[in-house]
Amino acid sequence: MIRYVLKRLLFMIPTILLTSLIIFFAMKIAGGDPVKQILPENATVEQQENLREEMGLNDPLVVQYARYMAGLITGDMGESYVTGKDVLQTFMERLPMTLALGGSALIVACIISVPLGIYTALNQNTWKDTTGMVFALFGVSMPNFWLGLMLMLLFAVKWKLLPSQGAEGPEYLVLPALTVGLGLAALITRTTRSAMLDVIRQDYMTTAKAKGASHRRVIYYHGLKNAMIPIVTAIGMQFSLVMTGSALAEVVFSWPGIGRLVFESIDKRDEPMVTGAIILCCILMSIINLVVDLIYAFLDPRIKAQYSNKG
Amino acid sequence: MKRILAMLLALVMVFALVACSGGNNSGGNNSGGSGGGSTTKGEEGSIPGVQKTLTIGIASDINELDPQQQNDQINNNCIALTHQPLVFLTNDTNEQVACLAESWEWTDDTHLIFHLVQNATFNDGSPFTADDVVFTFEKAMDPDQSAVAATLQLVESVNKIDEYTVEFVTKSYSNELLAVLAGYPLVILSKAAYESGMDKPYTVGTGRYKFVEWKEGQYVKFERNENFWGDDPGQADEIIFKPILEAASRVAALQSGDIDVCIDPPINMLEDLQKDENITVETRDGTRLFYMGFNCEKEPFTNQTLRQAVACAIDRDMIIEVVLKGLGKAQTTVVNRGVWSFYDEMEGFDYDVDRAKQLLSEAGYSEGELAVTLYVSNAAPYTTIAPIIKQNVEAIGITVNIEQFDEATLKDKCQSGEQQMFLWRWNVIDRLDEIYTELFSTDYATNYHQYSDPYVDEMAVKVLTEKDKETRLQLSQDLQTYLVEACPQVPLYVADLVIAYNKNLQDTYLFGGGNHNWSWAYVSLN
Repeated sequence: MIRYVLKRLLFMIPTILLTSLIIFFAMKIAGGDPVKQILPENATVEQQENLREEMGLNDPLVVQYARYMAGLITGDMGESYVTGKDVLQTFMERLPMTLALGGSALIVACIISVPLGIYTALNQNTWKDTTGMVFALFGVSMPNFWLGLMLMLLFAVKWKLLPSQGAEGPEYLVLPALTVGLGLAALITRTTRSAMLDVIRQDYMTTAKAKGASHRRVIYYHGLKNAMIPIVTAIGMQFSLVMTGSALAEVVFSWPGIGRLVFESIDKRDEPMVTGAIILCCILMSIINLVVDLIYAFLDPRIKAQYSNKG
Repeated sequence: MKRILAMLLALVMVFALVACSGGNNSGGNNSGGSGGGSTTKGEEGSIPGVQKTLTIGIASDINELDPQQQNDQINNNCIALTHQPLVFLTNDTNEQVACLAESWEWTDDTHLIFHLVQNATFNDGSPFTADDVVFTFEKAMDPDQSAVAATLQLVESVNKIDEYTVEFVTKSYSNELLAVLAGYPLVILSKAAYESGMDKPYTVGTGRYKFVEWKEGQYVKFERNENFWGDDPGQADEIIFKPILEAASRVAALQSGDIDVCIDPPINMLEDLQKDENITVETRDGTRLFYMGFNCEKEPFTNQTLRQAVACAIDRDMIIEVVLKGLGKAQTTVVNRGVWSFYDEMEGFDYDVDRAKQLLSEAGYSEGELAVTLYVSNAAPYTTIAPIIKQNVEAIGITVNIEQFDEATLKDKCQSGEQQMFLWRWNVIDRLDEIYTELFSTDYATNYHQYSDPYVDEMAVKVLTEKDKETRLQLSQDLQTYLVEACPQVPLYVADLVIAYNKNLQDTYLFGGGNHNWSWAYVSLN
């Protein structure tokens, strides 16, 4: 198992290398002179040239990339052109906010979607099933920012129950978490329904019923546990997407997370911040995917055995 | 399974608590209390009848609070609370009036003497003296310590005469030096604060408020300076700036009472805001001129008559209607509306398709012969203006290709002279040299027109140095007439300043260009 984890961690290296290569060169190809961005517009040519030399911008791109990667290994991802702050430090300051939002959204999604998925599966082809699936379709189709604004208008403007903006306390988390969570719930609901439909037709479910197990035990212990692999896969996929893709909700609710950081940095063409943040997001997604794979092992002994056999 | 879920829940709760508990203090002293940047809707502060906190929702992030390391409007809004300049620019007459200097005089063409107020103190209690002025300007003039050193190129040295008198030695006389000194990047810093070795000494100023806390991406908070030296201190106990980038969210925050002021409300939501009985929507003349520029050194726009033809093809009223729903003013001249000597009576090149076609023919081109490129920013309002210009100019037989860039890239390309035509804006409140010198003088970095004309260079210097007001007025108006005819740019419009706020907001001090001073503003509870 440990060897498997190590192997997966090693596999992250080419992924990170490839991502960094693409993003580094994409930012360079996009054009624009960092020196002119940092210095005031009326800086002299000599000042510009000195800074260009100091930043190593006169070196070939390959040399610049190699230098960047050497810095990356030691945790030095450069400084923001806009704020002058260390990229890694800024990312780490924003990460807890995104984790809080992503985690809360996922809890909202799971609370809604898993019971709803089971319920619709147990009531297949009835109006209850159709209603649940319409909800799922609505969730998938609804743009995140629109839902966010609608929730804001209802809960903050009309009923004045929750704050509309900011991140100064747990109550500020409710609306962004609902916004992101409702979108996630749709896919998990459909996956749960589908997985449960597969499981409830299995012979062992009939056997459990025949042995006198309660309906609740049959569904939640024998059924749900065996349906969990695709559900966890869906949750894992959604979690990694939320971690790196809740930018719109973060912008709408002024939630100071990574999504908003990347959004602002792209807008200001803050090259080190954009490059660094995307590479760090890539690492984060790889880690989340690894954790999800490891959770499989806890859920299904066969997978655990497979990991162990493969070493 | 239960164990995993329990672990996941615990993890998320820990993150939520960490994230929301205010751990990442990006600067300054911690507020020490709960709430951080949270608003105190309706809560009375220490002054009876005044809401404790004034919260301002801003449209962009604050990125620097060191006055000399920036010159962004939103940073300046913050700095105006904590610091003061030698002379203060009024928002109605655009004049410089006494602030930390109580009087001043040019003793000859190269010596400007300031007599300082003698009772001012910094918000840490230390006294304000000539040493602070000398320290501030010596630091500002050093390009290694300041990003605004270029604005003081005219100044050779700043000397202390006595404890409350300083002398500026300049290379020559300038009508605009006082206006330069009224700018927020050149507010007076505390020498003692820098020498004390304290963290962020640049936050210490003589203003009505004290810096408390900056949580990046969330808010910047100030508290009233209880020891303010003047007789008109701040009213609200706290002022908080909250960046809310999404315009619709900013409006919702105002309507919900989470903020008291909404900067730059979107034009298409003004009707709703005007119907809201708790909100005031204020509109006043703006100073930000949006224009379409030509690269006068690149073909085909080296041809002045061709530039005039394109100018005649552009329907500015339509642009104002579409982009601003009428909340702006068209103008012919290149000087921003409201700036001294603004003159708009010349004939110019109003929208006239027939005249445009005639000028095109006089320029030596036939319809369908030319294809040009228009460089624009990928942000509003340029993405709306560009298609209208394309349609207008194509109506006279010139094909226009639009290329969009982020602003930093666009500025870079314009400085390098890659563009043929470009869309840009220029915000000037009172300084003519910011127009004549910075936009049109040969080889100036912000002369994106790449315009070079010895007559304009000479006239720009004359306007800057002429002491007789009447003569200077005539020179400035002549130069405007000349530049309109030369047509390095087509002035499109000056957008009105539109701002929405709590109907009980009092004592605002707004500038048409956005460099507001919120030092006196408060929400009345009466």
